[in-house]
Amino acid sequence: MNVVELKDVCKKYPSFELKNVSFSLERGKVTGFIGRNGAGKTTTIKSMLNLIHTDSGDVCYFGLPLLGNETEVKQRIGYSTGTVSWYPRKTLGEIIDVTKAFYDTWDEEACRRYMELFDLDADKKPMELSDGMKVKCNLMFALSHGAEVLILDEPTSGLDPFSRDELLNVFTTLKEHGVTILFSTHITSDLEKCADNIIYIHDGEIRADCSRSDFMKDYGQQGETLEEIFLRLEREARI
Amino acid sequence: MNALLRKEMRLSASALSYIFIIFGVLAILPGYPILCGAFFVTLGLFHSYQNARESNDILYSALLPIAKRDVVKGKFQFAIMVELAGFLVMAAITVVRMTVLDDVEAYHDNALMNANPFFLGMALVVFGIFNTVFISGFFRTAYNLSPFITYIAVAFAAIVAAEALHHIPGLEAVNAFGFDDIVLQLGLLIAGAAVYAALTYLSYRKSCRRFETIDL
Repeated sequence: MNVVELKDVCKKYPSFELKNVSFSLERGKVTGFIGRNGAGKTTTIKSMLNLIHTDSGDVCYFGLPLLGNETEVKQRIGYSTGTVSWYPRKTLGEIIDVTKAFYDTWDEEACRRYMELFDLDADKKPMELSDGMKVKCNLMFALSHGAEVLILDEPTSGLDPFSRDELLNVFTTLKEHGVTILFSTHITSDLEKCADNIIYIHDGEIRADCSRSDFMKDYGQQGETLEEIFLRLEREARI
Repeated sequence: MNALLRKEMRLSASALSYIFIIFGVLAILPGYPILCGAFFVTLGLFHSYQNARESNDILYSALLPIAKRDVVKGKFQFAIMVELAGFLVMAAITVVRMTVLDDVEAYHDNALMNANPFFLGMALVVFGIFNTVFISGFFRTAYNLSPFITYIAVAFAAIVAAEALHHIPGLEAVNAFGFDDIVLQLGLLIAGAAVYAALTYLSYRKSCRRFETIDL
């Protein structure tokens, strides 16, 4: 069953265009969203969160259009971006205390568990955290309200290999609990570890949307790794 | 208190927004352009917008499970709360000046505005100008703070006009000391409140429209 659907989403900027982006996400699957810097990953994700005003197209969650159902939809989804620091001079405890009032499904126990797992201290301020810890902090917020869909924009950027591995294991556990995950990345080893499906975007256009095995089969050549396929596709697209 | 206002107060607001409410006390000073107190209250509010921009508050708020226009609603709730707190301080000082301190000579020999209901009505007009010019100007981009410069120009034009109004022949009653012209002055206070409510409502609607169409 598809829990997220994008249909012909277009957004034109003076120097970049998102062209008829369409894809869907299946319940309980991890989808890796790949593409080089500037390919349109973040713009797509922003359009999925109504952070940008798209020129046309529809974004639906759980069969409901996002526009007009923003409050209900956002209760059920979580978002985390790389290293953005929210309220750098407030303590994490203060931010959590204010944020949880917005969620009907905020789970204190899950919050405490992820704080512990990610080694976060409620008395610390975002400005005191390293980039990797900021990523973990953002994830903690996304995971603490029982989100059914997680949209993660480069969640592994800035993480050390151990933390990245830990995080990818968290994805696998969440997937087993029926959580749908879309995460953008340009680190292909992340995809090899946990992605069921792959969406590949190039220059604002979706070039591939299929299972990881189909991606390897349809786009790969004999003996190529995912990274090699990705690099070759990018090189070919530039010619 | 709703979650939106709580977020504004605890995460987004600058401490100066609260501290500058005290500038309402300027209304006690004889021979001082007391309407500037209203301007200082809004200057405190402006600091919260600087703070919000530096702490990515707008984006954080837009990601919360609220409609996009509710981000605007939170900002207006906070502004109205601070403005009304400033108004209450000025109202309390005005009552003290008109009653307990009514025989103080310095207040009788005042070339500028007296603390009376007309002054309070004009303070509300200054707040309305802030909400219209600055807040709705801010929501054109949700990051650009330059509408505050336009606000300074408009607010000071209004302040100068209000402070000097009673020097125009026939308009002395707006600044009359004591209770002789209280009906007229209370009428002007009500008119000021109506202007504030109308400007704030229209600005809120405009800000929502603008915020819906911008990219974060």
